[in-house]
Amino acid sequence: MLEETLVLFKNIRNPKYDKSLAGYKKTGGFKSLKKVFGMKPEEVVQEVKESGVRGRGGAGFPTGLKWSFMAKGTGKPSYLVANADESEPGTCKDRELMLKDPHLFLEGLMIGSYAVGCHHAYVYVRGEFFPAIKTLNAAVDELYADGLLGHDPLGSGFNLDITIHTGAGAYICGEETALLDSLEGKRGQPRVKPPFPAVSGFNGCPTSVNNVETLACLPFIFSDGGVESFKSFGPQNNSGTHLVSLSGHVNSPGVYELRMDVSMKDIIYEIGGGILNGKKLKGVIPGGSSSPVMKADEIDVLYNFDDLAKIGSMMGSAAMMVFDEDTDVVKLLHRITRFYAHESCGQCTPCREGTHWSRQIVRDFLNGNGSEEKLKRLDRVGGNMLGTTLCALGDAAALPIQSFVNKFPEEFRNYYATT
Amino acid sequence: MPVFQIDGEPVEYEPGEKVLSAALRCGKIIPHYCYHPGMSIVATCRMCLVDVIDLGNGRPAPKLQTACSVDATEGMKIETFNQKVEEGRKLVNEFLLINHPLDCPICDQSGECTLQDYSFKYGSGKSEMDYSKRVNGWRDIGTFVALERNRCIQCSRCDRFTREITGTNEFGMFNRGHELAVDTYTDRPMTNKFQGNMADICPVGAITEKEFRFKRRVWKLKKNHSICTGCSTGCNVTIEHDRNEVFRLKPHENQNVNKWWLCDEGRLTYRKMNEKKSRINQPLGLIGENLEGISWEKAYGAIAERIRELKPLPQEVLALTDTHASNEELFLIQKLLKEGFSSENIFCPFPTWEQSESDFFINTLITTDKTPNRAGALALHIKGDQKNKKLKKVIEGELKVVFVLGNPFENELEFKEIIKRTQLVIHIGVFHNSWSEMADVVLPGQFYSEKEGTYTNKNQRVQSTEIAVKALRRTRPEWQIISELSQALGHKSSFESIPQVFNAMALEAKAFTGISFDKIGGLGIELTKNTKDPGKKVVPEMTAI
Repeated sequence: MLEETLVLFKNIRNPKYDKSLAGYKKTGGFKSLKKVFGMKPEEVVQEVKESGVRGRGGAGFPTGLKWSFMAKGTGKPSYLVANADESEPGTCKDRELMLKDPHLFLEGLMIGSYAVGCHHAYVYVRGEFFPAIKTLNAAVDELYADGLLGHDPLGSGFNLDITIHTGAGAYICGEETALLDSLEGKRGQPRVKPPFPAVSGFNGCPTSVNNVETLACLPFIFSDGGVESFKSFGPQNNSGTHLVSLSGHVNSPGVYELRMDVSMKDIIYEIGGGILNGKKLKGVIPGGSSSPVMKADEIDVLYNFDDLAKIGSMMGSAAMMVFDEDTDVVKLLHRITRFYAHESCGQCTPCREGTHWSRQIVRDFLNGNGSEEKLKRLDRVGGNMLGTTLCALGDAAALPIQSFVNKFPEEFRNYYATT
Repeated sequence: MPVFQIDGEPVEYEPGEKVLSAALRCGKIIPHYCYHPGMSIVATCRMCLVDVIDLGNGRPAPKLQTACSVDATEGMKIETFNQKVEEGRKLVNEFLLINHPLDCPICDQSGECTLQDYSFKYGSGKSEMDYSKRVNGWRDIGTFVALERNRCIQCSRCDRFTREITGTNEFGMFNRGHELAVDTYTDRPMTNKFQGNMADICPVGAITEKEFRFKRRVWKLKKNHSICTGCSTGCNVTIEHDRNEVFRLKPHENQNVNKWWLCDEGRLTYRKMNEKKSRINQPLGLIGENLEGISWEKAYGAIAERIRELKPLPQEVLALTDTHASNEELFLIQKLLKEGFSSENIFCPFPTWEQSESDFFINTLITTDKTPNRAGALALHIKGDQKNKKLKKVIEGELKVVFVLGNPFENELEFKEIIKRTQLVIHIGVFHNSWSEMADVVLPGQFYSEKEGTYTNKNQRVQSTEIAVKALRRTRPEWQIISELSQALGHKSSFESIPQVFNAMALEAKAFTGISFDKIGGLGIELTKNTKDPGKKVVPEMTAI
């Protein structure tokens, strides 16, 4: 029987765990931070590189490498911003971490701040996460009261402040440059890259934006023997455990911490307990709504960044959405296209026009106005958004459209054949 | 300068420059909407797609890149025309058009609309969009420009203009996604003094000038390069006219003067060019009690005869001029006095004037000196002071002959009373005013849109104007009038053309030494010897939002 590998969730899975600072310290908290304060920042970055941890926000970019790109010697302050604007449909892992074990994440944030030389770290929390915001604020207050934040924590000579900033509810603000714009108080719209945030980010200063889960991995990496055991949790280049948000038609949905060498089939049938009501599986959206859909016969694949990329999909934020044989795929796609049409910031042409147009076409199918021509057009409009937009939202909207049309064309045809 | 290649041709670039900027500088055509050289790069219209076949390291870019945001690098190779690029442009163009109303027949931008041009050039010519189009409606955003949001392609140039160029921030983008629209904040009208520029930079007909709406199709307009004479900045403009009627002024790029911009007040000076009622349309002479129309020959003859009779001493001659006159006219009237009467009694008004000082360049375009050539008068050492002390002295003496060019000392009624009693007053001007009423001979001049000339702006830059519209039949340019007048008085020098006058001036007037007319060119040339600038620097008041 497949079981969870508890690294990030080791406290959360303990029913008696007290999430206050005292409770976190009892489980060995802030030992890693103490160890990190004894190292040089460059050594910390090197160690993170060594561990091979990749960004858990969706892109899977190696975190150590990202930090090493940070501009140095510019005379400007550096910033570390934790991206807690978890809005990808299906994803609910960061919320668990912030709500149930805030100090683990904050310790990771402090380690990261030390590594990139940041003296004022920000946490950009999704505006709707009211309980998580409350917990985080309380946790930060505890840290200040304990002297772990502010001036000279643990006698390290390193000053650090943390500000919890709440977003205003836009999906696009999860894109790192839009997040920085929003954090600066502007309209949240993605910026032109280059310059990348590592060169010119928050207020024009070198900035690193990291996902909550990525930062939460750091305390483990810097525990004794952490790097080796972290690497051992998955195949090459996919080290560590990751949090899988399993949802949809499974018997036991939830957030599970798994190694990276587990197959999707096992996740659905063993961890998830199989399909609801004993029905058959129709397909899986493997990594949040923006990843290409997979059919039931494709799921015998290891659930990690590289193996999913090999078969033309992506792991994204590891939000697996399972749907059974009775699901109406056209309705599902309509829901997804509606989401992207609503969340597109509208500044660049293909995404502004394409997301709305594709939504209109899918709606036509639902209204019984579909045709072969429209199916082709839907595929073409999706393709035209792919790779032509300023940020990744255009791709995120295009990939599901193309994959749904290409993998379930008969479902679309049923709509206009029967009416 | 380092070099990269566009379509196999080497193009030079400055380090850090973007591909599009370097390409446009070299005359390459890459279609674009949101990019404007004066504003920040947002790369949102996605029209300037190019194929980077070599990033400079031997590898191609994985997908099409927007030329406006890609840094040029040594050895980079770019193709602006191949199948991939054409397809990319076609699809962006399709997206732009699906919600555009395509109301070109009733749109004022039609003919100078880049969306129209690029659709013809790069578009597919058909649309598969079969739903009703987005309707955002028009908005009343103030007195100078009209906003028709259905035509908007969300390039955000206008938004960036109020943010980055005027700093007034009254305009912005609202809503998101498909519903993204431009508007003013809290429904207030626009307040900045440069709204006309928003109509210029708008690539489509979303923002148009109210002053120009529904008056002429733009392809009928003929264009002539000139300068704005609304104030002493001398912004470069094109005068756009049809059938001898001026319809609008548009800014003409000159990085040394106005960059790409022009103020609304300057734009409105076109009205004066069409003014017909108060124009002096033929030479007038005082016959009995009334001014009556006479021929040019008769006017010159009468003046020459009268001057021979009066035999004025040098201190009995006076010339008054305003600084609307061009350098050449000022020079010639100065010469007329010097050669004909050995007099140096030439005066022009020199009131105090103010010059804005601001972090936003555009604010410095407006000065309170509303004449185009005060610096020219200074350079030619034409007399005058702020309190008219010297002029008072001259006027209080005995005066026999007074030349008045234009409409100087408009409000100095005291002077006018004294000069009225003079035996011979000759007025050379374009419009009827109190000087022409008291004159014995009135010689009709031409407005600056009707004649050639050079003007010196507040920064001592000499710039020339072209003839845009035909003048009234019986008027002559002032420089010609003065030249002919001096011939009638029996002086040697005669001039046939503006370049000839200018080059003579360059020989005689120290400030213009070393400059010839050919050197002025389209962008003007700065005087080497700077004269003292009497302007006062002031920080403009911020307009409250």
